[in-house]
Amino acid sequence: MRHMTLALAATALATALSFGGAEAKTLVVGVADNLTTLDPANANDTLSGGAARTMLQGLYGFDSKMQLEPLLATSYETNAEATEFTFHLRKGVKFHDGTDFNAEAVKINIDRVRDTKVPTKRQSLVSMVDRVEVIDDYTVKVVTKEPFGAMVNNLAHAGLFMISPAAIAKYGKDIDRNPVGTGPFMFKKWSGDLFETVKNPNYWREGYPKVDGVTFKSVPENGSRIAMLQAGEAGFVYPLPSELAPVVSANQKLEVVKVPSIIIRYVAMNTMKKPFDDPRVREALNYAVDKNAFCKVVYGGFCKPAEGPVPELLKYSGVVQKGGWPYDPAKAKALLKEAGYPNGFETEMFAKNNSTYIRAMQFLQQQFAQVGVKLTVTPLEAGVEAQRIWSVAEPKDATVQTQYGGWSASTGDIDWALRPLFYGKGFPPKLFNVAYYKSEATDSGIEAGIATGDSAKRQSEYDAVQKQIWKDAPWIFLTVDDFLVGQAKGLTGAFAAPDGGLNFEKAEFK
Amino acid sequence: MLNYLIRRIVGIVPVILVIALLVFLFVHMLPGDPARLVAGPEATLADVENVRRSLGLDRPIWEQFGLFLWNAVRGDFGYSLKTRIPVVEEIGLRLMPTVWLTVCAMAWATVFGLLIGVASAVKRGRWPDYVGMFVAVSGISFPAFWLGLLLIDLFSVRLGWLPTGGFESAKSLIMPSFTLGLGVAAVMARFTRSAFIEISREDYIRTAHAKGARARVVVWKHTLRNALIPVITMVGLQFGFLLGGSIVVETVFSWPGLGRLLVDSVAYRDYPVIQAEILLFSLEFILINLTVDVLYAVANPEIRFK
Repeated sequence: MRHMTLALAATALATALSFGGAEAKTLVVGVADNLTTLDPANANDTLSGGAARTMLQGLYGFDSKMQLEPLLATSYETNAEATEFTFHLRKGVKFHDGTDFNAEAVKINIDRVRDTKVPTKRQSLVSMVDRVEVIDDYTVKVVTKEPFGAMVNNLAHAGLFMISPAAIAKYGKDIDRNPVGTGPFMFKKWSGDLFETVKNPNYWREGYPKVDGVTFKSVPENGSRIAMLQAGEAGFVYPLPSELAPVVSANQKLEVVKVPSIIIRYVAMNTMKKPFDDPRVREALNYAVDKNAFCKVVYGGFCKPAEGPVPELLKYSGVVQKGGWPYDPAKAKALLKEAGYPNGFETEMFAKNNSTYIRAMQFLQQQFAQVGVKLTVTPLEAGVEAQRIWSVAEPKDATVQTQYGGWSASTGDIDWALRPLFYGKGFPPKLFNVAYYKSEATDSGIEAGIATGDSAKRQSEYDAVQKQIWKDAPWIFLTVDDFLVGQAKGLTGAFAAPDGGLNFEKAEFK
Repeated sequence: MLNYLIRRIVGIVPVILVIALLVFLFVHMLPGDPARLVAGPEATLADVENVRRSLGLDRPIWEQFGLFLWNAVRGDFGYSLKTRIPVVEEIGLRLMPTVWLTVCAMAWATVFGLLIGVASAVKRGRWPDYVGMFVAVSGISFPAFWLGLLLIDLFSVRLGWLPTGGFESAKSLIMPSFTLGLGVAAVMARFTRSAFIEISREDYIRTAHAKGARARVVVWKHTLRNALIPVITMVGLQFGFLLGGSIVVETVFSWPGLGRLLVDSVAYRDYPVIQAEILLFSLEFILINLTVDVLYAVANPEIRFK
């Protein structure tokens, strides 16, 4: 009897091992949320964009450092006014259904996203496009209504991934459940919290893909997601919460990868309201917060002080102040006194209601208290947040005094980090300038920066804008996140880009 | 009996209608603009307006309710605002995993809860009672997320016997149903014990003993049967609650259940999904109540329907 049990156990073990071997070729990715759609033009979450990236591709993409990388286009030219962009397309590429990828396909795709009759969530990426011209089979020209220097970045966004024109015609609105692209993997199944793809045997990049497929499993509980990695059920998990990083590093078969991000953390101060209409008060609060301590307390040390109003990995960003805004509570007190608040004042802070945001606000509350500012912390549920911050029609009706938030400019271009947050014409509900900050110099710089295709000119405009914003201090400039990925040792080529976009094109088990 | 059943079933219709109206109103009273939430964090005002138009949220509210009711009668609950998948499909995908989990958890919890409860009551004040109640109190006090993670660490990470989560095979059911059932088993044991003790003090039990019935017959036939009435009520209620999905267990074990769907939909203001789910839960509760009433008669033939 005992022998039989042993034999059974051995068989079971052998079966388990052989299954393990067979499955090792499909990369299983553990993620925190469910996908919302497979049509990236209608996705507003980075995760759905990442899932789509396994199957679909844009003219350009982003590498692991958020730099533009040619995919379905091989090169482009632009005119000096940044109104015409001519793309030379990769030849011999076919969609998964056999349809040829060519200039006509590009035109159909861009026109689909900018069509105002069938609105998509990412329409604003191409709302400035006037027309798309097919020059020849492999050359296409995008003409904008007004100068727009960030066009190539916008077209590299997941929202402009190319989908087979035949599939668009066939599936119509249901294209969001039947994605057909040119990517390294082909769609197999999406149901609830499971999304599966299989290898595209005719992929255009020689020698790729190296794995048989990519499967996304959504596992909301952090501990369970890490357990998947530990148990060998997943090869890659994202995000890895910082408090669980030691568990993963302690395991010989796993590793933690730290990715510097383009996510900036800040407190916006309503510059139209007292006391924040006084720049000295805003500067004082910048001095009042120890950014390194903020990093340790709130993000487990996985971030660093912001050295400008824009994360440095974004194109055209620059360091305004090395090491970030200095921590100097004595100076903060002196500035508050100078501004007429020798005993400080009371104020309120809004933020999302998740535990990290609440921890951040509590930390700030403690820091403000050191300089005599009494802060009331008000976490807002998503719907309430939308109502109290983002849907307020007139600046005078805004109740927000300060807001703790974060921003990731998913186009990888500085314009989308400046215009939504600092442009005088971008107050809510239009965009997200919740500091209600308006400066002539900043506005004209933002306008001039986008109105040219000349990199040097854009750089000089944006340098000036960033210095101006830092000087005006509509925000408390806090930190830029690092995020963490947990993965099996021996997995290479899989990465999360600085915007959190997942990329498995070159994933390989070694 | 049949008449009674038919009357009860017909009575469900107005109840459901009232619930539908209430749910619709409550859901629309939630603060926050669903169009903005659906459009997402980076959406411009123009994007938000596009979304509002495409979802029909720009129409008057009574028109939206009328449309909702008319479609619901025909079994069409519309599309999820979040995934654009038909609501019926979204819920259908998660209904069976939830039912499976509930049935498994309730089955073992009921059996073990009853046994522990009876053993504790019969051996009142002696060691089986102390052990039984110790287990019961621990079962209630164990936080499910902690127990769940502990099980995962032991059986998936260290031993590699069971999958960490998801619903792919019968094996996937073991840890979640154990975690979910533990609290129920504990409550059940305590309930059974106290009901049993109360009944065993009744005159007719003394009479049964006096007329010389064997102890086993008195325990299982006379006492337990009568003690079952409150227990059945409790099982019914628990069953109803669990069918609504358990957020904690579903989260820890990545179980594709209804609880998480509801929480996600509320956060996202996914009206169609919230409405359909709450209607479904109401219907489940009504049916369970009906079943419980019928079971009363089975347990105690003195109960008659009028």
